[in-house]
Amino acid sequence: MELTTTTPLKDEEVVTLTIKDPNQYGILMERYEAKLKRYITRLGVRHPEDQLDVLQEIFIKAYRNLNGFDTSLSFSSWMYRIAHNEAISWYRKKNVRPEGHLVGDSEEILEFLSEREEGTELTFDRQLNAEEVARALEQIDEKYREPIILRFFEHKEYDEISDILEIPIGSVGTLLHRGKKQLAGVLNKDYLRI
Amino acid sequence: MEPHTTTERSCRDSVMHRIEGEGILPRPKSYFTMHEATVWALWGLSIIIGALAVAVMLFAFMHHQFAFYEATHESFVTFFVDALPYLWISAFGLMAVVAVYNLRHTKHGYRYPVWQIVVSSLVLSVAGGTALHVFGFGYVVDHALGQGLSQYPSQERLESRLWQNPDQGRLLGRVTRQMQPPSLLTTFTDVDGLKWMLDTSELSKEEQELLFSEKNIKLVGLISEDDAFLFHTCGAFPYLLDRPASQSEFRAAREAFEHKMRGYEGRELLPLFNFREGSPTESQDSLCGDIIPVRRMGDMHR
Repeated sequence: MELTTTTPLKDEEVVTLTIKDPNQYGILMERYEAKLKRYITRLGVRHPEDQLDVLQEIFIKAYRNLNGFDTSLSFSSWMYRIAHNEAISWYRKKNVRPEGHLVGDSEEILEFLSEREEGTELTFDRQLNAEEVARALEQIDEKYREPIILRFFEHKEYDEISDILEIPIGSVGTLLHRGKKQLAGVLNKDYLRI
Repeated sequence: MEPHTTTERSCRDSVMHRIEGEGILPRPKSYFTMHEATVWALWGLSIIIGALAVAVMLFAFMHHQFAFYEATHESFVTFFVDALPYLWISAFGLMAVVAVYNLRHTKHGYRYPVWQIVVSSLVLSVAGGTALHVFGFGYVVDHALGQGLSQYPSQERLESRLWQNPDQGRLLGRVTRQMQPPSLLTTFTDVDGLKWMLDTSELSKEEQELLFSEKNIKLVGLISEDDAFLFHTCGAFPYLLDRPASQSEFRAAREAFEHKMRGYEGRELLPLFNFREGSPTESQDSLCGDIIPVRRMGDMHR
């Protein structure tokens, strides 16, 4: 059987197609459902029913605003921005705080812990486990939590984080630096070598 | 390919079902263009109003009665607090906030640090305001608002408030009838419509000319104890608010005021009845040695 390979359309191209044919929107949803579900879960939307509600709202909002998609951003950043805003408005609507953070699998944890950025002089012990990081993330200031999640668990670049959170790039670096410091302070000292 | 969970599949289906069922359509491009244009327009408007506020503030600061503050206030500080254009300072502050808010809400506004947005908005307003002031717009705006709005505290109204106070030895108005020479009495109507008889025996030739120019002028002096509408004039100064006056005119007015008031310092007081006779005195005595601005200037330099 002969296999033909075709280059998949870029997100931005699918957006153009979707404006003409709404059925094409399924392609974008297929690409982003899993990522955004994981992201909003990390932001604290933990119950499947709530996740479904928030995801639906994200996709409906994105669809309504397709013509407003800023082509100077990546489509991914734009979708994450909508997800971020929807998660926040969901908290507000429900009048609840984020329910803790499922930070990720062990590989991500190890990668995060081995990251050394912005002059942080801490070396984390690789024995640290996911629960410990999750507990520590819950304790740090909210303003630091999301940049850390985006940087170390969603693997976003600084400019993407800037576009998602709508803050200057310089502030992204500052928040990450301070967030990591605060996280290091919160983490059980037995796990750290300074 | 990553297998889909039930949640994911039902999410996609639900979204597509809602889009079709509720007839949801992407908002038109014009909606976003209009939104962006509105935000920029509001930013531009706030910069323009901020610039006008700066222009009027500069006009108030630089073209106000600093030249005569000893005549109206105890000290420069009390004058400054009284004469500050609070309305425009507030307007400038408000416009700065509006400008920053709108610039932050443009498509890429979030990329710039707040301090850069604040500084750029302030710099634009101040630069624009300075340019407007240089071309006389500060005066034009203040004058036009003063004419159109009865409650607006224009510089002209402030000038009236400060200078129309006969009991404190200040009058604002114009000469309405001149006596024939050699009389040094003349009729003056103040801004409240009251008619006064002026004794001008202690005025210089330049002041006499100014007095009879039929323009608004400011007078310092004192009311006669014998006649409630006889005003002994110790100094006559240009009004300077009937047009955008230049800095050099204000400097000249300040120098004239200082020179005139200092000239009375230490002079013996003339008996009151003398000035009613309408003839200049040859003596060094003067009624003006004890008027408020002369006393204040003397106190400051003692």
